[in-house]
Amino acid sequence: MNALFGLVASLLLLGMSAAPASAHHAFAAEFDATNCSEVTGILSKVDYQNPHAYLWVNTTGAGGQTEEATFQLSSTSNLRRGGATYAVLTASLGKTVIVRGCAARNGEKNRYAASFIKLADGVVQRVGQDVEGIFGTKIWR
Amino acid sequence: MRTHVGAALVAACLLPAAAAAQEKPKTFVEARGNVVPVPLPPGGPAPRMADGKVDLSGVWFAGPTGKANAWSVVPDAPLAQDAVPFQPWADAKIKSMSRTERELGNPGVTCAPVGVPGMFTINPYPHQIVTTPGLFVHLIESDNRWRVVHTDGRPHKSKDELEPLYNGDETARWEGDTLVIDSISIDEQTWIQGNGWFHSDALHVIERLRRPSLNYLEYQFTIEDPKVLTRPWTSAWRTYSLGKEDLTENFCTRNENVDQLRKLNEVEAGTRR
Repeated sequence: MNALFGLVASLLLLGMSAAPASAHHAFAAEFDATNCSEVTGILSKVDYQNPHAYLWVNTTGAGGQTEEATFQLSSTSNLRRGGATYAVLTASLGKTVIVRGCAARNGEKNRYAASFIKLADGVVQRVGQDVEGIFGTKIWR
Repeated sequence: MRTHVGAALVAACLLPAAAAAQEKPKTFVEARGNVVPVPLPPGGPAPRMADGKVDLSGVWFAGPTGKANAWSVVPDAPLAQDAVPFQPWADAKIKSMSRTERELGNPGVTCAPVGVPGMFTINPYPHQIVTTPGLFVHLIESDNRWRVVHTDGRPHKSKDELEPLYNGDETARWEGDTLVIDSISIDEQTWIQGNGWFHSDALHVIERLRRPSLNYLEYQFTIEDPKVLTRPWTSAWRTYSLGKEDLTENFCTRNENVDQLRKLNEVEAGTRR
């Protein structure tokens, strides 16, 4: 029980003293947090750069044609520290992955910001901000 | 899928007891990278340099965990500070910008130099600070930027020597255990914060840094800008904590956001017509 109270006290302390660090940009300015979905396909490319990394997934469209979806990830700083290293992401190249993404608000087709990827080895890896509140982590809008 | 215990506990603490008893814990996606933060202890007294001044050296992360907190289960609390006293025309100018226009003017989005105090306020990544007697060296991971400031209290350059610079003309002095950095002649292309807070050529920034204990650094800034504000404004103290990691390389080499936001701006302009 003491451990429980200690954890609660620690979390409340965090809430009182954390210094907000502004993100590179406001997610909702560019992507629609109410239009998110999971895309399944073959991971075809990873570009590990800043201010955002990108990955591309080849999917099968409604007519059976191959379509390429582009996913914007977080920065390499956040990805590395969160376990989504270059090696982790590129290990799934050529393999089936599932990526959850929210669509671009400017109408560009097949362009998303990703929040997680289910890698080829089955690990669910965080790769972006929690804009839907699906992780229970702080929500970025 | 799992139940997120940390978030449920915080929610329970914030709700009345009866309501909390009825609250069904929400189920969240478990993903590698989610962070349940643990605050650092004070860690003992701050170290001192050979001249007796507080040594601010270290790698510093925003918040109390000594680690990145972008994917933390605990949200950042709003800072308790006064509203910024903008002159009416400046307030109207900021409010007239659409969210997309604010993004397009934000140095943090365009990868332009963030300047001062932007190295703290428009920077989500860690800082490495090195202090020696007489010198303050500030490196930030965000776009691998840096500044070096003399801490001997020397005067600013003369008016004839000043030119607009992103980090301005900087000098620093110690007031007790607080390092005070004084900056003028700051390029008008920088912003104070990423929310549209622009400034004039009359901007004067006073930053204060102190290390209350080994593991903690605190930062505060004052803005004097008589052409934009009705009076000087001072921020709340912001907390940073000592990390055990090195800074990593983070050059802004693939910025697609500007083009994407411009397209969105065109879509929105079309919608408004």
